[in-house]
Amino acid sequence: MLRIRQLQKKKQEEAEAAQMAQSHGISPVATNRVNSAHIRLQKDITELDLPRSISVQFPNPADISYFEITIKPESGYYQHGRFRFAVSVNENFPIDPPKIKCLQRIYHPNIDLEGNICLNILREDWSPALNLNSVIIGLNFLFLEPNPTDPLNKTAANVLKKTPEVFRSNVLNSMRGHYVDDGYYDNVLR
Amino acid sequence: MKVQVLEWNAVASWHWDLKVDDSGVADELCGICRVPFDGTCPSCKYPGTDCPLILGDGCTHNFHLHCILKWLEQDTSKGLCPMCRQVFVYKRIKNMGTSEELHNLQVLIEGHKAMRERENEENEFDSFEDDVRMTD
Repeated sequence: MLRIRQLQKKKQEEAEAAQMAQSHGISPVATNRVNSAHIRLQKDITELDLPRSISVQFPNPADISYFEITIKPESGYYQHGRFRFAVSVNENFPIDPPKIKCLQRIYHPNIDLEGNICLNILREDWSPALNLNSVIIGLNFLFLEPNPTDPLNKTAANVLKKTPEVFRSNVLNSMRGHYVDDGYYDNVLR
Repeated sequence: MKVQVLEWNAVASWHWDLKVDDSGVADELCGICRVPFDGTCPSCKYPGTDCPLILGDGCTHNFHLHCILKWLEQDTSKGLCPMCRQVFVYKRIKNMGTSEELHNLQVLIEGHKAMRERENEENEFDSFEDDVRMTD
């Protein structure tokens, strides 16, 4: 275990050194690490095979490590909504999972009000054998089948567990941008 | 007719000798970097002995040595194979990888093993405590 810590420390120091070099105006040396993430990311992006309900936008085409996705669920509680997410991929990809955040304030058992997402394959169950396609499909699945057993928004999860009908109407209200239980939500129907 | 050879060039090609799995096809791509095994991992320049493969023992999954090292360096990997999530064990093959790299791999695998055992012990302790509480 000690050895793993040492290796991590070394990596951190390397990263800091690279940052220092950048802040001092020295042109950043394209390290292998940056390249390897880029190569794999490029592959993942070209291999994206998504259903029509999901679209991907690159705000800055020169930077493929940040992009946004829009999910329009075709069925379920969240049908007709348009949910936007920011995806950022760091230099340690695919060892580190991509970071995904919801850009809107939404009412969902597995997404908190800050946009953090509770999806196993984005955290503890991430593996470099997974790709961008699998995490985006996983995210889409959260909207088709919200999972009340592993919640980030506990109130919403309890409502879904006890009274699915109330949950349905709460979702509809929240998607219209109305208040639900004293909390406001963004209009996602536009 | 008489043929006079003026010049000749020898051409050779090589290929990693990968065991074929039950379905009859060997995986051609490293599961981590998705680059063919006959190419290098993304941090190497030349394919071949400098960028060796590691064959899974127990599971049939193979990786570039450098790729699996990077993965097992993570605590979050828990020492599992990225493809099938079984505990990753590798086959020892002569002349594959430098002794330093193999040593690192061994240390990482043992580190994860120790971590798992410690967790198991803690869990056993917890369940023991639960038992005590139950009988109270």
